[in-house]
Amino acid sequence: MSSFPVSEGETAVDVETQHSVEQFLYREADLLDSFALEEWLTLLDKDILLEVPIRVDRHPGSKRPNFSETTNYLREDYEMIRERVGRLEKEYAWSENPRSRIRHVIGNVRVTESTDSELTVANNQHVFRSYGDTADHDLLSAQRHTVLRRPDEDGDGFSIGQRTVYLDHSILNTKNLTLPLL
Amino acid sequence: MSDTDKANNHGSLTDIIEQTGEDIKNGRYPLDIMNNPELYRLELRRIFGQAWIYLGHVSEFEEPGDYARRYIGEDPFILTRDENGELHAFLDSCMHRGAQFCTAENGNTSHFRCPYHGWTYKNDGTLQGMPHMTEAYQDLDEEEITLEEACLETYQGLIFGRIAEEGPPLAEYLGDFTWYLDVLFGATEAGMRVVGEPHRWESSHDWKTSADNFSGDSYHVLTTHQAGLETETLSKGPWEELNDFPAASYLACTDRHSMGYYLSEDRETFMGYPEAITDYLNPTLSAEQRELFGRSVFHFGTIFPNMSLIHGIQSGGWGGPWACIRKWNPRGPGTTETTSWWLVPKEFTDDESFLSESHRGWESLSPGGAFESDDLTIWEGISNSSGAVTHELRNTQGNMQQGMGAMTDEVDTIDDPLHGPAEVTSKGLYFDERNSRTILQSWYEMMSDDQKNDNDPEMEIES
Repeated sequence: MSSFPVSEGETAVDVETQHSVEQFLYREADLLDSFALEEWLTLLDKDILLEVPIRVDRHPGSKRPNFSETTNYLREDYEMIRERVGRLEKEYAWSENPRSRIRHVIGNVRVTESTDSELTVANNQHVFRSYGDTADHDLLSAQRHTVLRRPDEDGDGFSIGQRTVYLDHSILNTKNLTLPLL
Repeated sequence: MSDTDKANNHGSLTDIIEQTGEDIKNGRYPLDIMNNPELYRLELRRIFGQAWIYLGHVSEFEEPGDYARRYIGEDPFILTRDENGELHAFLDSCMHRGAQFCTAENGNTSHFRCPYHGWTYKNDGTLQGMPHMTEAYQDLDEEEITLEEACLETYQGLIFGRIAEEGPPLAEYLGDFTWYLDVLFGATEAGMRVVGEPHRWESSHDWKTSADNFSGDSYHVLTTHQAGLETETLSKGPWEELNDFPAASYLACTDRHSMGYYLSEDRETFMGYPEAITDYLNPTLSAEQRELFGRSVFHFGTIFPNMSLIHGIQSGGWGGPWACIRKWNPRGPGTTETTSWWLVPKEFTDDESFLSESHRGWESLSPGGAFESDDLTIWEGISNSSGAVTHELRNTQGNMQQGMGAMTDEVDTIDDPLHGPAEVTSKGLYFDERNSRTILQSWYEMMSDDQKNDNDPEMEIES
């Protein structure tokens, strides 16, 4: 049976490391929520791969994977992410004009792997999205797996080397999936 | 009273349907048909209950036991390949008490067991047995207990199902559109293959809005997709060769379906496929079909009612070539669940660099895509406004008059066998809206009392 692809095990990290990882994710979430996407881009490594695989409604015990291994809602390298950020800044990128009102709530932050150079971090999140002149909202639920690179000697914080967003929706409940919602 | 007698400010449903039939002749239509609960109920019966509805592609069902949940209208069917290799589509409803028994989007199984009382069916829909069969069902005719099965036919690997037992064969329903399906889904000898799982998302737009958009609307691209077209660094491929998008565009309408496409003057364009494509071309293509495919940059179209297709390379440098099949599943008035499958020629399924570019093209027209994410916002707005009482009280009419009368002297009718048997116009994607009128005319013909056969069930409606 193909299980949910949570990284196995946990790695004990000291309180300070756990704290700094959480603070990094919170700050990043603020940038996304406030559409400060150019600043958000500076957190990404140039070799980043951002993936949002398709989730499938499976029979328990099915040998087929719960998340598609070949198809994604998004599979982006740095160049494509940069093009998308530039796109969203245009007035006529109607998907976010008017802007969605977005709020990430991040929890269950766990460091699952740790080396001298990087940390693998899992976090759960609920992303609230409200759009236009309406009282309605969409709620996107997901678990993210992020590879955080530790700063080099001159660096001043983590950078994002890789990220996969595992959505809890087999049918998306929102009209489109723009970068700030991930 | 029946659905069609339901009174509203238009008088009755019959009136609004017949009014639509009249208005189309003038390139107009009542705006409120795009979000109308009573009309929607009738659409499920008169269109989705009667038409050939796309269900899946044969490459998804290669092994005996392969199955997937697919919908006709809102009805949940299970498409299966049985142990003898035959395809079936069964309603997901047990013949005992109607419980549903399909527990996944897709998978592989030799039988389905109802979770209520354990009635069990083979994957050909016949009864396998049930608990206490010998004690409790001594007088049961087992042959009589088979799942409700839709009519099923395939064309170029495309599987269609129909609820109504009577009606035209699939080839007749598709009509002249088969010529274009040969090019788009039969261009290579091995045919197409679905890759991976489809994108699925639900949004607040009417299925007719997206069916109309995909039937041949490039006019919206200039405004809706300006942000997507303005990339800085991405290679634009064969689109670079097209100096004038309208001049490179064509609109092809049959009597029921519609598509648009862009052609290059370069006969070896092949949508930007790797050069090896010429080794794989299907020898059954006619010379005209081969030339059309060779000059192709991008195709998109709608098979009425709710299947759309794309095959080409994305403008703006956003990837491809890829093929995509869309299904606009109705999920209530003004609500649609879109399913979007990615297909590639089987000959390229091991070419990783091709697949990577092809995936990117497919992704550009997904809810996360640089193009479609903008469409969805706008389509939702259409659904919102179409429910307006103002439209109903004032009989507000929308406009699809491009290409009619003296509106334009830009559009030319093409009479060249290269373009196949449909009625084809040049620049039609930008200056002609025959595509929209064709799709809405198909809607009218299936919805109208005058055009109906008499087996349409009377439906009581709550007052």
